[in-house]
Amino acid sequence: MFNLRKSMALTLPLGEASDQDKWDNGGLERKRQLLIEIVLRSRLTALMVDGDTTCWVLKQELLRSYGVQTLGVDNGRDAIDLIASDAAFNLIIIEKILPVLNGLEVTRQICEIGMRCKMLAVTAYSGESERQAFLATSVDVFIEKPLDLEHLVPILRELDRQ
Amino acid sequence: MDLAALKTQLKNFVQSMFEEGVLDNQFSQIQALQDSTNPNFVEEVITLFCNDAERIINEINRNLGYQNVDFSNLDSYVHQLKGSSSSIGANRLKLACANLRQASDERNKEGCLQALQLITCEYCLLRRKFQALLHLERSIVELETNQK
Repeated sequence: MFNLRKSMALTLPLGEASDQDKWDNGGLERKRQLLIEIVLRSRLTALMVDGDTTCWVLKQELLRSYGVQTLGVDNGRDAIDLIASDAAFNLIIIEKILPVLNGLEVTRQICEIGMRCKMLAVTAYSGESERQAFLATSVDVFIEKPLDLEHLVPILRELDRQ
Repeated sequence: MDLAALKTQLKNFVQSMFEEGVLDNQFSQIQALQDSTNPNFVEEVITLFCNDAERIINEINRNLGYQNVDFSNLDSYVHQLKGSSSSIGANRLKLACANLRQASDERNKEGCLQALQLITCEYCLLRRKFQALLHLERSIVELETNQK
């Protein structure tokens, strides 16, 4: 689902002069490396499912910086209830270990409900057995935290093209 | 100390945290997310992280105090601490979590206690440095506000 919007060229802020003053050459180079410019035609929506507040806030701000509307829940049961109530999202980002209902079970139930969207599992430890278990459900991408731009930006571009 | 000197001090302090391996590039991404629409983002995230980390470390400590340790429960806490450490760029703390995870997997209580000691040390170091960083940031904001 999307609404057509005016094209937006979004970059992470390069910073005004006073911010640049905070950075030495190495810091500026790091900041330039973080700049990934993408043009979004659509207003994308994302559901974040993570019981950890720090991770939740960081992912929300990262998505917000690209103009993605986000909704977050901190446990698996609330995620299922939301999906079951016909809430629709372009992207679901889910952690493996969650209160009430774990991430793997949540992805299985989302699949059973019939929700179709991009699903990204972002978890603290990405062992091979965990990876295979998630990919066997409806998860499209399985990565280890942190959620980085190298994984996120191609996903946003793909969703925007759809 | 004047504004320019304070900014240089902050810049050098953050750089030293990268060089010591206390922080990794993920922290740079967090700094890049702070802008005029979210001017206190770094402080908010650091505060959230420290509150959560202390809670988790205390819970792990409590769990390891029991005669029969619930290693499954312990694993959940380690998972969470590693995840938030990775997400904020707390590199050495993240690495310290690996030792605890391995000891927990092996059901090695003594190993867990030793690993927790390391985690506690790394967290205390990180917290001290974050406090210094935020103190510098607040001083800069105060000076900039006074100069307007």
